This record gives sequence, structure tokens and C-alpha cells, in this order.
Amino acid sequence: MIRLEHVSKVYKTSTRPALDDVSVEMEKGEFVFLIGPSGSGKSTFLRLLLREEVPTRGRVYVSNFDVAKMSRRRVPRLRQSIGCVFQDFRLLPTKTVAENVAFALEVIGKPRNTIVKVVPEVLQLVGLDGKEDRFPTELSGGEQQRVAIARAFVNRPLVLIADEPTGNLDPDTSQDIMLLLERINRTGTTVIMATHDHGIVDSMRRRVVELAYGKVVRDDARGVYGVGR
Amino acid sequence: MRTSFVFSEVITGLRRNVTMTIAMILTTAISLGLLGGGLLVVRMVDKMQANYAGKLEVSVLLTNDISANDKDCTQQPCAGLRSALDQTSGVESVVYENRDAGFERFKRIFEAQPELLKLARPEAIPATFRVKLEDPERTDVIKQAFEGKPGVKGVDDQGKFLERFFEGLNGMRDVALILALIQAFAALLLISNTIQVSAFTRRVEVGIMRLVGATRWYTQLPFLIEAVVAGIIGSVTAVGGLVLFKAFFLDRITRNLTESGIIPPIGYLDILIVSPWLFLVAIVISASTGYVTLRLYVRL
Repeated sequence: MIRLEHVSKVYKTSTRPALDDVSVEMEKGEFVFLIGPSGSGKSTFLRLLLREEVPTRGRVYVSNFDVAKMSRRRVPRLRQSIGCVFQDFRLLPTKTVAENVAFALEVIGKPRNTIVKVVPEVLQLVGLDGKEDRFPTELSGGEQQRVAIARAFVNRPLVLIADEPTGNLDPDTSQDIMLLLERINRTGTTVIMATHDHGIVDSMRRRVVELAYGKVVRDDARGVYGVGR
Repeated sequence: MRTSFVFSEVITGLRRNVTMTIAMILTTAISLGLLGGGLLVVRMVDKMQANYAGKLEVSVLLTNDISANDKDCTQQPCAGLRSALDQTSGVESVVYENRDAGFERFKRIFEAQPELLKLARPEAIPATFRVKLEDPERTDVIKQAFEGKPGVKGVDDQGKFLERFFEGLNGMRDVALILALIQAFAALLLISNTIQVSAFTRRVEVGIMRLVGATRWYTQLPFLIEAVVAGIIGSVTAVGGLVLFKAFFLDRITRNLTESGIIPPIGYLDILIVSPWLFLVAIVISASTGYVTLRLYVRL
């Protein structure tokens, strides 16, 4: 599903590589935590999958895409098969819940009758039915993140990337969000989640890939955040 | 491509940036208005040249002595000059106009200016041979042959006068076109700037669009159309401005000249003929500026 082969990434502004000879493979339907301190390379890792960045060396594969080598014209196709969720939700404040979710389909040219059918479905899946016409500012943080997850998932991506999705949420709400991500994972979607949240990683017991200074220092099939932390 | 989506984006974009949009539209309109004015002058000069071709005459003005005493050009040197003109090759016709006839003509031309007529006396008008040439360009022949001859006060070439007049009009045209060019440059910068501001205010949207896999067209088209729509509104404003300029200004100051047939009037038809060019220029400039700006400055 996802494979990185000896991937290094050096930014022009830095002498130390953000990623240093990283090789990782993730299977379809896996749930993977990506952990490590700030600056360890987690964001670069995720940006490479989305082709927001191109690796300095090595190869990146997502599904059938040779991400590092593909032409710019094909990048939209790649991104349509990846859903993204962020710590800051990134919702459009001028659009309602339903419109925010529909937006993701409108801009990739999905026909209207598909949109009116799948948007309510996904809103129900994330537990927001009845709040379609609210604006993001009228929602709690947890609800806003649900909207963001609905938007990321509405096109049924193969991979869901979550970059510290619980970073702005209290522990109870975080737990709810994790249940939702688990539910999405059970539909066969690969979930990759970058996080600093010990409690969540420790309680879920999923695969943990730990980065430090751009290198993979740990890869546990059923890991915890870290011993002694 | 979902057109309704693209257009709703365009409208929100234009509304969100309303001050910049207005500045962009006005600058474009002024630029195109000047361009249109220049094109109208070109049309006017063309029409005038067509009007006057074949009508141009060379006037051989006669001395005071002949003007006062020889009403029918029967005496010398007048009769001799006439036969000499008749025999000059390239001359189509020669008409003698004595002082009285000349004064009548003067009164007719300037009937709209009674103050001028009050001051004018027949004695100031010389008797004249109106010489029509087969080739209106070859006026120098007459000038060379007859200037300075006894009885001749001077040779007046209408073509030369008209040339000066055309030079004046062409100068106006050049000024209008240069101003149009400067304004176009300002419009260009404004379009570019508006797109950059527009892209900045919509960076969250655009970021999301990129992330969910919208194609380049989807992310860029709203910005491009925004610029083109503003350009079209600008050109419509420019055409409206030309119509108003004609109705409330040009028609008034040129009424005497157009009614006496000296210059052809500029009609609404002329504006209609010029306007498609303005639309075209507006669309091409705004679209290409938009495209280049998006390529160079905006990461979409």
C-alpha cells in the first residue's frame, strides 16, 4: 500500500536531513501511529506521501503511484486517493457543515446527484446528522474535527492521513475521535496518524513507527508511546 | 467541470475584494476608452481622406488689382493665366471665382459665426482660380509653375492644409494610444495584484482544494475568470463612456464642423464597430496577465 525505500529529504535551508534513509512499508488496512519529537521528520514523512514534497533520494509508493517520479498532472489523482485531517481542522468558516464536506467533492468535479447522496451518509457515519446546516463556529472542537474527518473520508480514500488530529482536543473528545478513526480503519482504509498523545497510543496498541532525527528508531507491531515517558 | 461551482467562486471572489475589483475595472475602462478614442480618430481620418479624395483643389489666388477690376476674367493677365492653367497637363478643370462669389462662399461657410462675418469685408477676399487636378497629389506642378507670375498673389494648396489637419488628428490619436498604453500597464499591474490578493484571501480554500486532489484548472479557473469578468465589465464601461463622450461632448464641439461637411461625424455605428476590439483586448490582456501571475507568483 505504502512503501518508502531509502528515502532521504534534505531541505535547502537546513544542513541536517529531515528524513535520513527511511525505509518503511505499510499494508492496506493498517493503523499506524507515527511518533517522535517535533522536528523528527513526521510532517516531512506525511508531506512526501501527498507529494507536497519530493524526496531528495529514494522512492515513495502509495497504492499504484510512484509518488516521487509521477508527473505533476497526475498529482490530483494521487491526492484524491488520500484523505487528510489536521490539528487545526481547516474548515471553511463561510460554509455550513454539509457544504464543507460537499466542497471536497465539488472541486474534484463529482456530479451533484452523487454529492447529495453521499454527504448525508458520511455525516451520519461521523455522528453529525442533524447538524448539516450549522457553521463551523457554532460547533465544538470535537464536532469540527468530525466535519474534517467527514470531508477527508467522503471520497472513500485508500489512505487517511491524520496529523495530530487530537492536538487541540480534550482527552474525552480525543477518545471519541479515535473511535471514529478506528471505525474508518475497519472499512479497510489505511490510517496513518502522527501524534504526541501518549495516552492514545498506549491504549490503542497499534503499530508504532518512531522517528528521531529523521531516522526510524522503532517499529513495533503493537507498541506503546515509549518506555519511561 | 462544474460550472456552477466555478462561477459561485468567481462571484464571491469579486465581492470579497470589492475595492480592488473596482480599481481594476476603472483602470481597465479608462485604458480601453482611450484605445477606443484612438481607434475612432483613425476611422475619422480614413473617412475624411475618402471624402476629400477627388474633391481637393488648388486655389490660385489673384492680386488685388485683378480682384477689384476684372469680374469675368476677360482682361490680361487674368485671361492669359486661365488659358495657361487650362493647358497645363494634369489639370482637370479650372473655375474662376471673382471677389463677390468668393465673399458669398465665405459667408456660407461661416454663417454660424456672425461675429466673424461682421468683421469681414469683401475687399479681403481675392479672386481665385479653383483648379481641380486629375491626380490630387500632384499639386506641386501648379505651385511651381504659377507662383510669382504676374497677377498671381499666391497658390494655396488645400491638400497641404488638410495634411496639417490630419497631422493634428494623428497626433491626437498617438497621444490617446500612448495614454492607453500607460493605463493598460497600470491595469495589468492591478489585475496581477488583485489576483495575488484574491489568492491570498482564499488560501485556505485553495489549500483544501489542492489537498483533496482538485486539478489545476479547478483551482486556477476561478481566479482567471475573475480577472476576465472584471476586464469585460471594464470594456463595457469603456464603450458606455465613449457613447456618453460622443453624446454630451464630441457632438457639441464638432457640430459646426460636421454640419458644414468639413469633418465627418462620428456615429454610434463607429463606436459599435470599435467595441469588439475593446472586448477582445480586455479579454486577452486580463486572461494572459492572470495566467502569468498564477504561474509566477501563486502556488496553487
